[in-house]
Amino acid sequence: MEKVLEIVNEIRNSKGLTVLSEVKMSDRLREDLSLTSFDLAELTVKIEDEFDIDIFEDGLVSTVGEIFAKLEK
Amino acid sequence: MTFLFDNGKEYGYEDLLRALNEGTTYYPYYKTSDVFSYFVNLIKALAASQPLVLLDSDINPSEIDGLDESKVNVAESITPASLQSMDEVVSAVQKSNSEITIFTSGTTGQPKKVVHSIATLTRAVRIGERYKGQVWAYAYNPTHMAGLQVFFQSFENQNTLVNVFNQPREYVYQQIRDKGITHISATPTFYRLLLPFEQVYESVIRVTLGGEKSDQHLYDSIMKIFPNAKINNVYASTEAGSLFAAKGDCFQIPEAIKDKFKVVDDELLIHKSLLGSSDSFKFTDDYYHSGDLIEWVDEAQGLFRFKSRKNELINVGGYKVNPGEVEVAIQDIEGVRQAMVYGKANSILGNVLCADVVLEPDFTLTELDIKKVLSSQLQDFKVPRRIKFVEEISLTRTGKMKRV
Repeated sequence: MEKVLEIVNEIRNSKGLTVLSEVKMSDRLREDLSLTSFDLAELTVKIEDEFDIDIFEDGLVSTVGEIFAKLEK
Repeated sequence: MTFLFDNGKEYGYEDLLRALNEGTTYYPYYKTSDVFSYFVNLIKALAASQPLVLLDSDINPSEIDGLDESKVNVAESITPASLQSMDEVVSAVQKSNSEITIFTSGTTGQPKKVVHSIATLTRAVRIGERYKGQVWAYAYNPTHMAGLQVFFQSFENQNTLVNVFNQPREYVYQQIRDKGITHISATPTFYRLLLPFEQVYESVIRVTLGGEKSDQHLYDSIMKIFPNAKINNVYASTEAGSLFAAKGDCFQIPEAIKDKFKVVDDELLIHKSLLGSSDSFKFTDDYYHSGDLIEWVDEAQGLFRFKSRKNELINVGGYKVNPGEVEVAIQDIEGVRQAMVYGKANSILGNVLCADVVLEPDFTLTELDIKKVLSSQLQDFKVPRRIKFVEEISLTRTGKMKRV
């Protein structure tokens, strides 16, 4: 959870957005976290670096909860 | 006069002459890591007008289509030319009818073979009094086009080669100092490995860059290290040998072969009469697609600048990124020694733009620092999304940067 928060904040920070203190499972990546498709691609690469899993491999993931579901498999 | 310094050994031109007249065999397919033996075999074949296939010392023959592995390093008899002096040797090489087969470096896919004559290989060689007495740093793979260019330039003027190919920085500097090297011809990557500036080397009077796009930052650094050197660029390809004269950071198409080039959709097209021969070449109306994208500086004078390689453009979510442009922007940031930009396959965008960055020692930069600088200079899609700090950047067999 912390690692994912860290990556999300890294991306938000480089876009000049505020750093979040937490992410919720129900947070929507695009709408709530303001991530564009370029940001999502960065998120994928960085999660892949960390956990060796491509979260978008078999279809789109739209919430933080869905990322964790992929990582737990 | 010394012909070659390699690996702690010195070979004079008299050693070369003796070796050329020894024995009555040569190797049509020769694979060796001994540079002197390689040159002896090359000159032997050329002087006797025998065909020759140049194989990298580290290549696995099975990597190459249609190469009979059983022929590698098998000697064949040759009629000894009985050469009395180096002038006779040089003259025999210049008149050679040999077919010389070399291979593309295979940055994309399998190495492809290209057959050359001595004429295409030595088109750019200049001979004369003013070219005598030069000491060349030999910084290319000897079986590749650029390595052959430097070899012939040095050999036909009976100059000295100092082998520094794939050697570490300290060794290169030591050789420049000890051997009084006057000329260096190498890839931009080679020069970047010589950074940062620590000391001036005055013996070097000519620095040539080839093979990749270089940048002002690098020129400035080279000028600091070699203050007496004139810097120039060279364009040589495996397919065509050396074609253009450098003019500042531009190239000029020589008047005599002006009608042998076309530019279509920014891509440079070369007439087949300028090329070696290869089954892998595809022509459109007798013109070969070089894959090099150029822009005219002065079309009437044939003056142009290279932009990038066509197949190097990285498609990121439908946007085409020229990695060279982004590399230059990163390398301009203080504290960055070298950068390589590449695409990483990604299910959302097709590719995500990534960069590997080598920092100057004692410099600290974060991913965010670099992204911020780039964001102020480049469109958003050109800013790498993942920046990794690495110790060194891996190179292809030719010494070019390897894009993942």
